[in-house]
Amino acid sequence: MTTAPAGPAGPAGVGRLEEAGHASTMTRTIAALLFIAVLCDAAQAQQFSADLVRVDAWGQPAGSAGRVHVAGDKVRIETPKMADGYFVIDSAIPTAFFVRPARRVFMDAKQSSALTAVFIPVDPNDPCPRWQAMAVVAGAAEHDRQWRCERTAAETIEGREALVYRTVSPQGRRHTAAIDLQLKVPLRVTAEDGSSTVMTNIVEAPQAASLFDIPSSYGKFDPQALIERIKQSDVWVDEPR
Amino acid sequence: MKTSKLDKRLWLTTALCAASTLAFVSGAFSYDRGWGRSEWDRRHQHHHANNNQGHQGGNHDNDPAAAVKTESPIKHVIILIGENRGLDHTFGVYKPRGKGQTISNLLSKGIVNEDGTPGPNFALAQQFSVGAQPSYYIGAPKIAKFPYNAMNVMPQPNTAGTPTAQRDTAPPFKTIAEASVETDMSPDDLLFLTTGASNLPTNSLDTRVPGAGNLPNGPFPLQGPILSDDDYTGDTTHRFFQAWQQQNCSITSATKDNPTGCLSDLFPFVMATYSATNKSQGNSMGFYNAMQEQAPILKMLADRFTLSDNFHQSFQGGTGANHFMLGTGDAGFWSDGNGNATPLPANVAAADPNPKAGTVNQYNVDGNFVGCADVFQPGVKPIVQYLNNLPYAAEPNCKARHFYMVNNTNPGFLPNGVLAGGTTLPPQTVRTIGDSLNEKKITWAYYGGAYNDAVILWDAAVKANPSAPNLTAAALADPAHALGVAYCQICNPFQYAKSIMADPAVRTAHIKDTADLITAIQTNKLPSVSFGKPDGLLDGHPQSSKVDLFEAYVLHVLDALEANPQLKANTAVFITWDEAGGYWDSGFVQPIDFFGDGPRMPLLVLSPYSTGGKIHHSYGDHVSLLKFVERNWKLQPLTNRSRDNLPNPKPSKNNLYVPANMPALSDLFDAFDFDRPVNQPYTE
Repeated sequence: MTTAPAGPAGPAGVGRLEEAGHASTMTRTIAALLFIAVLCDAAQAQQFSADLVRVDAWGQPAGSAGRVHVAGDKVRIETPKMADGYFVIDSAIPTAFFVRPARRVFMDAKQSSALTAVFIPVDPNDPCPRWQAMAVVAGAAEHDRQWRCERTAAETIEGREALVYRTVSPQGRRHTAAIDLQLKVPLRVTAEDGSSTVMTNIVEAPQAASLFDIPSSYGKFDPQALIERIKQSDVWVDEPR
Repeated sequence: MKTSKLDKRLWLTTALCAASTLAFVSGAFSYDRGWGRSEWDRRHQHHHANNNQGHQGGNHDNDPAAAVKTESPIKHVIILIGENRGLDHTFGVYKPRGKGQTISNLLSKGIVNEDGTPGPNFALAQQFSVGAQPSYYIGAPKIAKFPYNAMNVMPQPNTAGTPTAQRDTAPPFKTIAEASVETDMSPDDLLFLTTGASNLPTNSLDTRVPGAGNLPNGPFPLQGPILSDDDYTGDTTHRFFQAWQQQNCSITSATKDNPTGCLSDLFPFVMATYSATNKSQGNSMGFYNAMQEQAPILKMLADRFTLSDNFHQSFQGGTGANHFMLGTGDAGFWSDGNGNATPLPANVAAADPNPKAGTVNQYNVDGNFVGCADVFQPGVKPIVQYLNNLPYAAEPNCKARHFYMVNNTNPGFLPNGVLAGGTTLPPQTVRTIGDSLNEKKITWAYYGGAYNDAVILWDAAVKANPSAPNLTAAALADPAHALGVAYCQICNPFQYAKSIMADPAVRTAHIKDTADLITAIQTNKLPSVSFGKPDGLLDGHPQSSKVDLFEAYVLHVLDALEANPQLKANTAVFITWDEAGGYWDSGFVQPIDFFGDGPRMPLLVLSPYSTGGKIHHSYGDHVSLLKFVERNWKLQPLTNRSRDNLPNPKPSKNNLYVPANMPALSDLFDAFDFDRPVNQPYTE
């Protein structure tokens, strides 16, 4: 087993960016390292697992949205909507993949599930940068579209302290998100229609590293060429509009 | 045990003879019913006088559809539809297994020998070029026709868009793991999604065909040291006006054996001339050799069950119009979305197949619509005149001020039920077989490959850009559901229908995914009537798919049915194609109206009542499948203008293939012997 393919930089990559933008004076270097340390600490989540539950606008349970495992910056999300696989996310790099074990393939998660866009470790005091980075990975931040976050309140949810934000996604969708101060992940995300996805049954415990791995023997699927092949068939009809 | 196609090929090479012999023996008691009214038909009419209750069937508790009264013991029909293969193209070299059975094909006519080489009557298939004419024609003047020869070489096979090499992300994939994006086949058959690259440039002479570059005037085998039915090959254009022109019908060419005068001798010529850019060239003349283990699954099924050698595409041309006819017995037309015909909008051009000035045959506008009630519309008069001259009533069936869809046009509904708008065909009110079944509360469903993924992609596309949803962008943004691009919208006649797509409850009840078909078979939830259409990777379409991939899809469905013997016992599976794909065919064609018929395609009839390796000769087309459903479940013809009003053929003297009462279409009941069920395995 190997870990998921990594991008050009993990947390250390942030450091390289900092170095590129600063003169190499001792003061500035120390400041940069301190900044990185603070950033890493802010985004560092603990290890835990939890259920994701959908709740309708009237507060009634509306079924399972899946299950989440978190270890540091790494997240594994299993959702019944895509029961033939699971998502693995490294919010520090950042990367997000969907893995289909039975078929021994993985692929960029992109926008295959809305869960991967928000249920990741973030800085409870400034969640938008991580969400924005994930939106870039997902191809959802074209044309400089940005996540916007506005802190509105603090709240205690089932005994857990959380900061509440009004957010707007790059696609213009509005949510309210409650970020757990300790776990540094969203406990609850509420859509404009009042329905929510809520993290429950949280069990803080070490998570097996294998949960976040993609076996090196798996191949990566990319839809671009598939689309081109389909365009050679009668299935595809060009639509001059 | 599930059977993979790979297993099947291995098995075929070692045990085909033995198994086929068993099949032959088990069917040997059967008799040649010929066609028209079967022995069962005659007995049944007698029974009918005493008992009009129909077949009650059994197994009601586990199989609700079995409780529905039917005209025959068949309680379920599954219609599986492949893409683009003709009868001679697939079964041109085939010898029936059933005792005393005969078939009309390349081999029986002496056009080719059993090894695929030119036969003593090879000249019967010769093709012609035609000198420039002032306007579109479907019956070329004899004086203007010139046979291809050494000085006037027949257009040769071309790779067109055939994949050159394996790729990581599209067929043929580099690895089986990459191919596993496809789920509607046995995992053991995924190998077939990794093979078949041409190793040749696109749009070049297909040198895999032995002799390519100097092939003689006639059909050639798609077989050689580096070419088999496991290889991708170049497509050939199959569009409405091109197909009529290729068929080259004129009453002046009519004979006793060919009273409609269709010569089918302009196939490569039209491909080489209708467009300045088309690369189809001579691909239309390619054929497989079933006697040399090409298309082995289809051959095995023909050996064990029943194959029609007089079954036709119902519409000249391509996919969309043929599937529409399959679902409605009629043609779709441009409208206001409420059934009222309207003129074409400015951005939708009517077809104009008249030749551009200074060209031999290059069409002015290769459009998708034609107002065929107006003989002054380009291209209309030659067809209408020909129909008028036929020795039987072949009405054009074109309404005034109606612009009919004759070439591929996407439905006015997206797969998720959202209105598509733009240049898609506005929502249709043409009555479908689904409407008729719904009225009688008879269960049915259309199972489209990759449909569920398509709905997810289109939901996202509409959400991202409601005014111009972009499927490609949605697929790139959602790789996990990207296979949704392979769902065929134009293959689903019900996706055009307002009565089905506009109501979410009706849509979700009847429009489903291939995975749902397998589940329905496994759980005894199979509807009375099912349509199964593979996705674009498995549909068998040249260039984008292969014969063996469609065979793998068929086996996937048949494996499920084989595992449910009770269901299998009262189920008929019809395997056919949307059209012959532009491939040349030597068979008789009965023009019925302005829209068709076109060339023959295979129709395999699988059931315990259609065993024995028999050949069914009664004239049919896609609408015959509608007629079977309507007769079995006691439904009326869909409308007063739909083709299902046509009578069953009556045999003419000395000709198995030409109905004495043209125009006529078989309801296929005479392809069965309902008194003699034989449990013949589908897959082992």
